[in-house]
This record gives sequence, structure tokens and C-alpha cells, in this order.
Amino acid sequence: MSTKDFIVEQLKEQIAGYKSSLKEQTVGRVIEVGDGIARVEGISDAMMSEMLEFASGQAADKTYGVALNLEEDRVGVIILGDSAKIKEGDEVRCLKKILEVPVGEAVIGRVLNPLGQPLDGRGEIAAEKFYPVEKIAPGVISRQSVKEPVQTGIKVIDAIIPIGRGQRELIIGDRQIGKSAIAIDTIINQKGQNMKCFYVAIGQKESKVAGLVAKLEQSGAMDYTTVVLAGASAPASLLYIAPYAGCAMAEYFLDQGEDVLIVYDDLSKHAVAYREISLLLRRPPGREAYPGDVFYLHSRLLERACKLNPEHGGGSITALPIIETQAGDISAYIPTNVISITDGQIYLTPDLFYQGNRPAVDAGLSVSRVGSSAQIKAMKKVAGKMKLEAAQFRELAAFAQFGADLDKDTKAKLERGKRLQEIFKQGQYAPVAVANQVLIFFALTSGLADDVPVEKISEFEAGLHKYAAASAEKILKEIAEKKDLNEKLESEMKKLVEDYKETAEYLVR
Amino acid sequence: MRITAKKFALSLYESAAGKPASQVKLIVKKFVELLAKKNKLALEARIIMEFEKIWNEENGLLEAEITSASDLDKTMIKLLQGYIAQLSDAKKVIIEERIDKNILGGVIIKYGDKVLDGSLKNSLEELKSKMIK
Repeated sequence: MSTKDFIVEQLKEQIAGYKSSLKEQTVGRVIEVGDGIARVEGISDAMMSEMLEFASGQAADKTYGVALNLEEDRVGVIILGDSAKIKEGDEVRCLKKILEVPVGEAVIGRVLNPLGQPLDGRGEIAAEKFYPVEKIAPGVISRQSVKEPVQTGIKVIDAIIPIGRGQRELIIGDRQIGKSAIAIDTIINQKGQNMKCFYVAIGQKESKVAGLVAKLEQSGAMDYTTVVLAGASAPASLLYIAPYAGCAMAEYFLDQGEDVLIVYDDLSKHAVAYREISLLLRRPPGREAYPGDVFYLHSRLLERACKLNPEHGGGSITALPIIETQAGDISAYIPTNVISITDGQIYLTPDLFYQGNRPAVDAGLSVSRVGSSAQIKAMKKVAGKMKLEAAQFRELAAFAQFGADLDKDTKAKLERGKRLQEIFKQGQYAPVAVANQVLIFFALTSGLADDVPVEKISEFEAGLHKYAAASAEKILKEIAEKKDLNEKLESEMKKLVEDYKETAEYLVR
Repeated sequence: MRITAKKFALSLYESAAGKPASQVKLIVKKFVELLAKKNKLALEARIIMEFEKIWNEENGLLEAEITSASDLDKTMIKLLQGYIAQLSDAKKVIIEERIDKNILGGVIIKYGDKVLDGSLKNSLEELKSKMIK
């Protein structure tokens, strides 16, 4: 059979199989449009968050909207996309479904907008499945407590504020003090840790996101990462749905029993976008002009982060929301809300940042409510008392400034604290593997680093890691595999540190 | 509280429905006086629109619009009337006919905020989108 006949044959078959069905549709009419909002008359059976189709322009590029306000004789709609094409009097159709985004393996490594359309110029997403953006979070029956760690690769976090798989840990602080950097370093460190990552940029500068994607690509992190971008120039409606869309994509992997990390950068801008939409829809303003349901806005999103029990697949979604404070004011409306929703926060302070302690994590105000159950046993052993020590050191350091005569015990604590603070300093894009973290913390807590001058600590640490990689790979491997320490391993580590100290020429003997 | 056109229309319907013509005349006169007193005469057009809507709804009347490519004969219209009445639970269907050559064939039925697109043009478009898939 020639190709022509084949096509004709196929065509006949298709047309014979085609049945035209008469479907009843509900239509309405736009009576007012502007500021990304449309008011629609008719569509009396529209449902809350239902997707609507504006029948303007060509059939190829239709504009969609979501019903957000159902009033007596009209519906308030947010327009997803270009509202300039929509005119008064245009027809609006109900699509009888909630907004959906494409999910699946196809989204990995891509940069998408909140509707799941590609922004990286690498063609359409070949997704077979679609998930609704709004979903009720898993209930108590399907959950279990958080017990596996997320290795952020950032020493201060892994040691004193550990994050577990399925936890929600807030990153909070002023602008420009390294909030996103913590999230990005965490994503980079997930290589080979069996983790899918989602980075949701809400209201970020597109230049910043472009630089970030380049960095992720360079470090090989785009192999397991998806970036959902609603940039600063996107309409408020897209900013509003972006985190929910990102979470829907993450939920696909949760359902496959995989572990997912999702970063919402940042939720302050998300709240501002929602405030804009709410005020335009004429909902009554409350505190700081936010609408009454701004708490629910974030709680329903963060509640979707979870650790499922083995009967339900055992997957997890770990959420790292970011909140930007104004001049360190964590008692503003949105920060207090999100602090109360999450399982702990990483608080970054400008003071520490400008003193050069980067990442500028405040050991006193930062907590992880999951605690040491999100650490491997080896880390628990070496870093158990470290949070207390770090907090005590800051108090003592304030006293010591008065030049008081200090007793031997206090002096020792101060010296230990100074070294600890040095070790906590870490460059950007330089995550440290957990075994190496255990090694350096072991060197500190066992007193082996006490005779290293404070200003030489960073050199000591770098040298130790290099030395260990060259001559004692076995020990690091054993820590990483066993995830626990025993006496034999401890004595081996002690010997390793002592051997290394022999080679360091800056140590006076 | 602001009184909307819909509320005016509803109160007019409730007071006038089922009354003889002589009484209705008085009621309407009083109603207009009320509007004048409340300074709402400008709402007249919208009150009439809302009143028609309420009247139709209460009495089971339904206005429908049928668009076809060519003139429909009487039996066809009767048939469609019955079909629409069955769909919408209306007692009586008032039909407004429109001719649009662009739809090629079949009919488009519109009533209230519902649309039934049975036109040939729409079927062809659906077939096209299905075959592209």
C-alpha cells in the first residue's frame, strides 16, 4: 500500500470513528476588565477556582482565568496571562475543571512558568499527566514522623539546626544577606542524595534567576532540578499560583514514593501578590491591608509538605520557604504567620553577615523543631551539645568585652567558641559532605583543634579535608556508610587528625 | 443600605402579581412615586429588565435564541421548543430565530447562560483538533 492510500485509509477510519456530541456549555460575558482582573456576568454555575476560557483572539492562543470571587450575579476572575487582549463583552466559558499543570519526569531540568509552559526555549513539555494546582494536604493516617536527614552541606545548619525529609524549615532574614544562597547550596548538595529539587522563584528578578540557573547547570544540579519562575514582570495572578503549581509538580514525585525538596523564594512577595489580587477583587483589607485569609494562603501550601508512611509510598516533600523581613522585624504580620506554620526557622542577621560570619545564621534564634532525629548518629555524637555551646559563646563574648578577669573554665569555653565560629564560616557554592563535617566537628569537640590558632582554623580545616581525601578515604567512606561512630572509628579519626597536624607547618610545637 | 434595581423589581413583582388590571395601575403609579421620592428614576431601564427576568422565571417562561444557517420550518421549531423545554424545565419557550450563514449547518441554541453548539462549523473544528492530536 502506498503512503497516499494509507493516509486516505486512516482518514476514513478516523472520520468513521468520530462522533460529534452535543455538549451543553455555560457562557458568560465580560462586563469589566482591568488590572489583571475581570468581572464576568452569567456563568451562574461557575465553581470556586474553576478554570475559565476567554474566547478572544485566535483559537491558538486563548487566555485563561480562574474564578476567585463568586458573587450574587457576577464572578470575579483573575486573568492568567495577557489581559490586554480581553475586551468588554467577550464571551467566557466554564471549563469544568480546576487549573492543572503538567507533571512527570519531563519537567525535570526545565525552567517553566507557573502554568507549566517552558521558558527555556527547549520545546514543549511532553507530559502525560496533569495535576490540579490546589490539593488537600495528606491527612494524619498517611503520615509518619520525620526521621531521615536532608544534608544541606552547610555545616552550621547540619550541626545545630538539622532539617529532616518532610520538614518545613523557614529561612528568614533581611534582604541581601544570603537567604537564597542557603537554598541554592542545599540544592547543589542534593547531587547523588536521591532527591528531586524544585526552585519556585516568586517575584524575583529574571536576571538573578538566569544567573542561578547557569550556576545550577554548571554544578550539575539541573539534572534533578526544576525551576518554576514567576518573575517580577509577571502579573500578580501568576505570582499567586506559582508555589501551588510547583507543589503540584512535586506531588507527582511524592506519589512515586520519592523524596522532593522544594524552595519557595519568597513567600513575602507571594503574600503581596495575593494582597494585590484581593484588594482589586474588593475583599475587605485587614492588618497591613492583607486579606483575612492570608494565613490560610500559606498554611494550606506548607501543609502539603509531608513525610508519608511506607503504606502510602514513603515519599516526602521538604519545604524551604523564604521570608524577607524589613530591618530585622520578625514580628510583622507575614513573618509571624509563617514562623508559626513551619517546623522551625533559620534566622539570618545582618550583624553577623557584615562581621564576616557567613552564612550569617543566628544560633540563638534559629531552631529546628524536628531536632536531632533528623541527623545521622555520627553527627548526633559529635554535634550534640554544639547549639548550646554556640549560643553560650555569644553571651560570654559579650561579657568578655568588658575586660573582666575570667576563670580558666570560661576562658576555655571562649576559645572553643571562637574556633567553632570559625568552622561555621563557609563560602557560597561550597557544600561539605557529611562525613567531612563529622571529621572536623570531631576534631573540635575532642579538643584536637584547641592548639590551632583561631585565624588558622579555616586553613586547618581545608588542609584536613585534603589530607583525609588523600590518605584516609576509608574512614570517610565508613562514616558515610555506617552513619555511626564506634570506638575504633573514633580512635582512627583521632590518629588521622594528629597525623595531619604533624604535617601542618603553622603549628608551633 | 443601597437598594438595587433587582430588589425594586422583586418588590414590584410581589405586590403586583396576580392582581386585576385596575389595581395594577394603582400599584405601578405608587411604585413610580416611590422611585421619584428615593431619587431612583434613573434605574428605570434596569428595573424593567430585572422585572422581565423575574416574571419569566416565576411563570416558567424561557427566552431562547436559535441560530441556523437557513430558515427553519414550523415543525422543526416545534421540535426544538420541546427539546429546550425538556432541558430547562420551563413551561413555555419563546424562540427568537437568527440566520447566520457562517455556521454552515446545524443549529446553535442559546438560553439563559447556556449554549448548545450543534453547528457543522463547530463539529468540523472539533474533528480537526482531534485529528491533530
